[in-house]
Amino acid sequence: MGGATAALDYDAELMLRVKDGDEASFTALLEKHRSPVVHFLYRMVQQQAVAEELAQEVFLRVYRSRGSYEPTAKFTTWLFRIATHLALNALRDGRNERNQDRLDERAEDMPALQVEDRRPSVEQSMVRQAMLDEVRRAVAALPDKQRAAVLMHKYREMEYTQIAKVLNCSESAVKSLLFRAYETLRARLAHMA
Amino acid sequence: MRCPLETREDREILVAYSSRALHAPDTELLEAHLQSCAACREFVRGQQVVWEALDGWQAPAVPADFDRSVYARIGEQVSWWQRMRGRMLVYRALPVTAVAALLLVGVLLERPAPPRVAPQPATTTAQVEGLQPDQVVRALDEMEVLDQFNRLIKPDSSESKM
Repeated sequence: MGGATAALDYDAELMLRVKDGDEASFTALLEKHRSPVVHFLYRMVQQQAVAEELAQEVFLRVYRSRGSYEPTAKFTTWLFRIATHLALNALRDGRNERNQDRLDERAEDMPALQVEDRRPSVEQSMVRQAMLDEVRRAVAALPDKQRAAVLMHKYREMEYTQIAKVLNCSESAVKSLLFRAYETLRARLAHMA
Repeated sequence: MRCPLETREDREILVAYSSRALHAPDTELLEAHLQSCAACREFVRGQQVVWEALDGWQAPAVPADFDRSVYARIGEQVSWWQRMRGRMLVYRALPVTAVAALLLVGVLLERPAPPRVAPQPATTTAQVEGLQPDQVVRALDEMEVLDQFNRLIKPDSSESKM
């Protein structure tokens, strides 16, 4: 994805308008990307309050960098690079550490699994909750970069090239990260079949 | 078709197929292979389990006041920057003001002494009143020149070197 492709990116155009002082374009970008960014960060750090705080920081940084913004890549690549950087730092700082131990206790903070049956029995709900906890733990146990790669691949449907740009590594490195991550997840979640 | 499990690169085809991201011609080829390869079927089944498990993990809704919080943080940042800029302007103005004050004192001290004549209170007062505005105007002009000089030099000090 070179500069020519980026020039066609509507979000990048909006960002250039923000650079020119158009506040409404920033509002448009915020509206469009707030959910993907918060959800990505939530799945990275697995704590809603921390995810929201980090997401606010992401948009603050976007706004602050408007003066020096150059559309050298897709806007979402830049956006998720900021988000990933902040998430990895937060995880490294151990800000989330104390809450990892309380995953079980914080079930009320977590949304339930999507269910087809609208009124599941208590037993079914408990089973599904247990499965959800297991999925969360399996994802949380992945190394940080593998987790980021899986989340971008699975939930944002990003291509390998874009994930590579976000993570600042080669495309083959991304393929390797994803392969190892899915291998681990297959092993951990195989019994759910 | 060669078994995708033979190389890591080819296994990506199985991952792509499980996530329904494989193109149609490749899908047909792989599905034909899956008919005869139990290992690949097992791989795909395992990957689909992962995919569905991840599908079930929904993130909570973003709170309604999220945007307000973002704008509040931007506002804090802007007001902080304005405060810093204000302080920097005050610090920048200090040396100019000091130099101007010194010049003013210098001008006033260098002023030629009036000739000694018999005291004529009314005339002397008139002379003093007549001289002061000129000196003040000159001093103010000099302050302004200094201020302009300072503004020209300080921000472009790097350019002036070029």
